[in-house]
Amino acid sequence: MSVNPFDIRTVILAKHAQHVVLIHFPIALFIAAVAFDYLGHWTRSRTLAAAAHFNLLLAAASTVPVVATGLAAWQWALEGQKLKGILLMHLVLGCISSALIWLVFLIHLRVRRHPEVPLPKYRLPFEALAVLIVGFTGHLGGFLSGVNGPG
Amino acid sequence: MSTAVLLVALGLEIAGLVAGTGNFAASAQQKPETAEVKIDNFSFGPETLTVPVGSTVTWTNRDDVPHTVVSTEGVFKSKVLYADERFSFTFSKAGSYPYFCSIHPKMTGKVVAQ
Repeated sequence: MSVNPFDIRTVILAKHAQHVVLIHFPIALFIAAVAFDYLGHWTRSRTLAAAAHFNLLLAAASTVPVVATGLAAWQWALEGQKLKGILLMHLVLGCISSALIWLVFLIHLRVRRHPEVPLPKYRLPFEALAVLIVGFTGHLGGFLSGVNGPG
Repeated sequence: MSTAVLLVALGLEIAGLVAGTGNFAASAQQKPETAEVKIDNFSFGPETLTVPVGSTVTWTNRDDVPHTVVSTEGVFKSKVLYADERFSFTFSKAGSYPYFCSIHPKMTGKVVAQ
């Protein structure tokens, strides 16, 4: 038995393909960007710094469809009903994670536009905190989707 | 006289048969009941449930993860069921009612009311 393939909402949301698949892009790109930034900071490599910047750019851009599909799933699959517990935590942490990714990107972008200004050192613990929050949000998402279980 | 008695007896016999048939028909039709479907380990159990028409089915979420119970044909739809929450629906018409969890669409089940 399968869900109705002619229901456009079901087609779009089928198996939560969009949100569940797209979410991997900002997570992977952001973690890679932070790793490149740390390595670039320690080795003083401009190539690694550039790699970090472009990974951050893509990570920030990819949060847009991820947030959009997450909100769409909430509005369509759950009809926008009031959330609580793990669903609410996932929604809040997802928004915070996206904001943190954008914030880190904007810090790098500002320096990129003004090469005479060095990257602030406070970004490093800030990036580490952001990675932890992004990771925790992803873990909650995996738990919700059943990836971390038999579902 | 004896013919009249015979006819009355025959009439009574027929009446008895008809009544008996009616009773048989009534006993063959199952009474509505209550049934339970457990949502556990990202699956509905039993996956297919057959109940008499008029029965009420209650779904209970035994998972820590929230789930929903949504009819594929739009007959019924629960709100989000968090751990240990329940949703009930009475099947007043005969038929097959496939359903799924809108959070985890690969979780599917079916209620057959007959």
